[in-house]
Formats: sequence, structure tokens, C-alpha cells
Amino acid sequence: MARISVSHSAWHWGWLAPLLLFAAVMAGTAIGETAIPFDTILKVLANHLGGTAFAVDRIDAGIVWEYRLSRAILAACCGAGLALAGVVLQALLRNPLADPFLMGISAGASTGAVSVAILGVGAGTLTLSLGAFAGAGLAFGLVVLLAHAAGSGTGGGRATQAAGAIILAGIAGSQLFNALTALIIAKSASAEQARGIMFWLMGNLSGVRWSDVALGLPAALAGLAICLWYRRALDAFTFGADSAASLGIPVRRVRGVLIAAMALVTAAMVSMVGAIGFVGLVIPHAMRFLVGSRHTRLLPASALAGAVFLIGADVLSRTLVAGQVLPIGVVTALIGAPAFALILIRGARTQ
Amino acid sequence: MTLARRLLAVLSLITASSAGAEATHYPLTMMNCGRDIHVDAAPERTVTVGQSATEILYALGLADRVVGTSVWFTPVLPEFREANTDIERIADNDPSFEAVVNRRPDIVTAQYEWHIGPTGSVATRDQFQDLGINTYIMPADCDTKNNATGGDGTRTAAFSTDSVYKGIHELATIFDANDAGDELIDELKDREENAISRAESLSLPDDISAVFWFSSPDGSSDPYVAGRLGAPGYMMDKLGIQNVIQSNEEWPTVGWETIARSDPDLIVIATMDRRRYAADSVETKRDFLRHDPVASQMSAVQNGHIIEMDAHAMSATMRTIFGLETLVDALSGMSFAR
Repeated sequence: MARISVSHSAWHWGWLAPLLLFAAVMAGTAIGETAIPFDTILKVLANHLGGTAFAVDRIDAGIVWEYRLSRAILAACCGAGLALAGVVLQALLRNPLADPFLMGISAGASTGAVSVAILGVGAGTLTLSLGAFAGAGLAFGLVVLLAHAAGSGTGGGRATQAAGAIILAGIAGSQLFNALTALIIAKSASAEQARGIMFWLMGNLSGVRWSDVALGLPAALAGLAICLWYRRALDAFTFGADSAASLGIPVRRVRGVLIAAMALVTAAMVSMVGAIGFVGLVIPHAMRFLVGSRHTRLLPASALAGAVFLIGADVLSRTLVAGQVLPIGVVTALIGAPAFALILIRGARTQ
Repeated sequence: MTLARRLLAVLSLITASSAGAEATHYPLTMMNCGRDIHVDAAPERTVTVGQSATEILYALGLADRVVGTSVWFTPVLPEFREANTDIERIADNDPSFEAVVNRRPDIVTAQYEWHIGPTGSVATRDQFQDLGINTYIMPADCDTKNNATGGDGTRTAAFSTDSVYKGIHELATIFDANDAGDELIDELKDREENAISRAESLSLPDDISAVFWFSSPDGSSDPYVAGRLGAPGYMMDKLGIQNVIQSNEEWPTVGWETIARSDPDLIVIATMDRRRYAADSVETKRDFLRHDPVASQMSAVQNGHIIEMDAHAMSATMRTIFGLETLVDALSGMSFAR
């Protein structure tokens, strides 16, 4: 595994990490579609957190507290959750290309959302988010069933076989659900609907409120806690399921728990903000270059980087084009891909 | 001019008006949305793609020539309910090319260029022309509008009801129903002028502002609101109301942050039968405005200045004029203390 010398920087992480996250959340709260003076933002935060009673315009106060802060925090949760899912899947499946979307979760979520929006399945009672969650769950269930059916027929070395089967099943599932989404859009969407759906398919944090944070924050924290609990098992999985088994790790159970947890976290995130690619795939790689592949460090580092990255991407999505909000998936790829390329090249040079 | 000639001219004017408008001379050549169309005889069969064209043909008394309809947003106007019952609705949304062609129309009349146009989702105009079928697009969707920008298109200049009248006049000419066309235009112009003068008598404040909310893709996400140059822009312009949305897009998505900060005096919300997006229903819209922590702080919400309007009236159609009346009716019951 490639690794930059980190002996001096490891010590810094302890105080740098919370500071970075705090700065990112502040930036996400301070920057938005409209300009609100920074002292107004501080006053609003002080009123809510410090019990002060500065006179602030009530709409400004609402925007800062209800819209922007909740949005920044949820962006952080989503970024962290997706990055963690990437770390876990890459370790379990020993596949550098593994990311949460590989397992058909995002494709299923898209199909679910489109079914509600265009076909009108359960419209009125089901929101796009619930449709997306249902679709994500359905797709994940199908992929796991398929992987299980494909993997159970093999004899020796079952663990490794199953890891390969789930990637293939994920690809098949993604293709199937992407095709269904395209079919539904092609068949019956008007320009207005197609635009609304495409916007959603690329990710969108515009509707985020505190009620979303109430789901996103526990999901991200629970995801982090579960991952950290299994950090040594994840280290062992990096050398293959067979080695993990030889170390006394109950391979099937641990893998089952971790995959199910990450699928749930991803489905929850996707159902709230749409399909944001790139984070789950690339953040774990970038962090492996920076802090190494030991999960004790890799997991928190990836969660933090994912959180900061997604807040930053959301701020950019709101400000890159004046008067227009870009889909955040466009920004994560446009900004993230070149940044990742830089890390790759630098990583290769320092090896 | 000699006296005899002058008399003759006056006489011909009188006969023209008493005998009504002149009959259409075929073959007829007409420029429509950037292309020449040639009409050899009054069409016997037309398929409409879009509710606007359908209702205008009904209003011109041409329901018997309509052999299929498509793209419906709201129920047909009550006065045409009977005429509409026997006419086949090919599709609620976009019909397929073959379904349209199968009705063997002489002409296809469309409301939107994105259905039938350079990148038409039903077909291009050439595809119909190849089969000897004429196409007519309502000028309201292409005069002062660029539909090459994707989505719902972008206005290049403000919509005016002149393009609706032009569409009515041209359809009447194509179908040789000129008297009915003139009558309909006169009636609509009367209603329009009436509404505007009623609004003037209300002496509204000069700085009154509004936002027109069509729908939203999901719950609290960025809503589709009216840009400044479309049909709602026209209504606001006529009544001296400022649109808080400055975009030239027909229906831009704008964040609630921007809308709330601009704090409009009026919120006009669309009513429609469609139930695809969470915010298609008026109740959902009202519910959001009541409960969203920021949107509920807007003065329009606090003062109860929320007006319901037929979604179709917010499009550039004949119903835009009825929407103007809806707006004036609602305004006459509101007070704007400054």
C-alpha cells in the first residue's frame, strides 16, 4: 500500500480534524445563495447556541439556522457516511473500485424516486425520498440474493468467491435499475419532470431541514461506531477473507453486519440528498495515501474528509454559477476528480 | 381622393363589417414559428398536442375537426366539456408520433415547440411534413422565446397576449373560421381590458411584489417559480406588480432562501390535477408555507396573501387572461397597509 510519511502529521490530526470540520460547517453556514453579513450569522448562532438575544431579521435568522446550518451538517453526515461505506466495501471486497453505488443502491434509489415522480406509484403518500429509500432497499436485497445464489454453489474458498459474486451481482443490479430508470423517463416524462429528476439523480441538498439531520446524523454516527468496532476485522479482511477466518474472525457474520449497515447508511443518505457519486469511491483512496491503510486511522480520516469535502462541494454548487444551483454530483466530480488525480500523481512520486 | 371613391370606401367598410370577416383564400402560406407552412384547403382533421391549442379550436367552434387530443394539464374549460366528451384523448402527456399520424390528420396543432419542433419529443416538423401533414405551433411558445436552451425554454422578451391573439387569428384563418376568430379575440380583449381597469381602481401600492409557485420536485426542495418574462410576468406587469424572480427562464428553480429574503407581498400558487410531485397539490403548498420555519415568516404568508390560480393560466395561453381576472378578484379582497 502506498503511503506518505505521516509520522509528524499524525500528531496534528487530533486537533486539526475537529477544527477543519468546524471551519467547513461555518463556511457552509456563512455562504449561500444570498449574501448575509458575517456578523448577522454570528449573532444568529449566538442567539441559538449561547442564549443571547441579538436583534436579527427573522428571515435572515431562519435562513442561517433552519436552512444553511442544517444543510451543512447533513452534507457532513452524507459525506462521512458515503466515505465510510467506500472504505468498508473496498476492504471487504478487496476491490479498489468498490463503492456504495456499486451494489445497486444508488441505481435502485433512482428507480424508486422516478417511479414515484413519473409513474405516480404511491404518489401523494410516498415522497421522492421514501420512494428512493424503498428502491435502494429493494435493489440491495436483490443484489444480495443474487450474490448469495451465485456464491452458494461453490465449494472451497467460498468467502473469496462470494466477495467476487457480490461485485458482479452489484454490476448486474445497477445496470438493471439504471435501465428501468431510463425506461420510465423515456416513456413518460415531460421536459419539466425530466429536469426535476435529472437534477435529483445528480444529487441535491436544497430541501434539507433539521428533520433530515435527525435521520442523517444518527445514521452517520452509528455507521462510524459500527465501523470502528470492527476496525481490526477490517484490517484482517484487507488480506483476504481466508486470512481473516484464520485469525478467528467470524467472516460471514462480520461481513453481513458491515455490508447491511453500510447499505442502510447509503440508502438513508441517497434518499435525502440524491445520488452523489465520487465520494465513496475516491475519498477512501485519497485518505489511504495520507494516513495509511490501518482502519483505526483510515476510518475517522475518511469520515472527516468525506464530511469536509461534501460541505465544500455543496457551497461550490450554490456559488459556482451565480443565481443557479448546480447538482452537487457535478461539483463532486468536477472538483474531486482533478484533486484525486493530483493525489495519485504525488503519491506515485513519493513512493 | 374623390368624393365618389371616399363613399365607395366607406360603403365597402360597412359591407365588410356587416358581412363579417372575409373568407380565407387558399392556398394559404403562413410563417409559423420560423418556418413557412402551406395550407391548400381548410383542414378537416386535426390532432392537437397541447391543451391550449385544443381549447382554442373548441372556442372557435371547430370541435368537429379535432380527431384526437393530447398533453392535458387541467380539466377542460366547463363550457367545452360537452364538445370534448366524444373526442379521443390519445395521451395525457406526450403522444407517440405514430399514434398522432394514425389519426390521419391534415394538420397537427401544438402548444409547445418541445413537443413538435427541432428536437420535438413527439416528432420534428419535418417528420410530419414528410407524410404530408402540416404542423402549427402556438406563437405564444415561440414568439419572444428561445426553446433551444433546454427545459422549458428561455424568454428573449416579455410574453404579451398579442401572441395569443395572433395564434387565435392564425388558427381561425387556417380553418376558415374568421368570424369566430374575430369574435373570440374581441371577447378576450374586453375581458383583459376590464380586468386591468378594475385593478387600477383598486389603487394598489406601487411597490407590491409577488412570486408565482408552480410546483416543487420534492417536499422542501427548490421550487419551480415563474421567471419574469412569461405569462405570470405579463400579469404582474399589467397590474404593476414586481416579480421577485429576475430570471429569464420560463420556470427556473429558485431556492427558498432567495424567495424568503426577497419577501414578496403575494404568493400565487398553481392548482392542477396532476399528482406527480409532492408540491403539485395546493394543500401541500399551503402546508409548506404554514410550517416551514423560514417560508412561514414571509409577509405574504403572515398576511394570508396567498392566491390560488389554475396552472394552465400560468402558461402562455388563452387562459392567461382568465388568470389575470383571478388575480384581480383576489387582490380586490386584500389590503396592503404600508
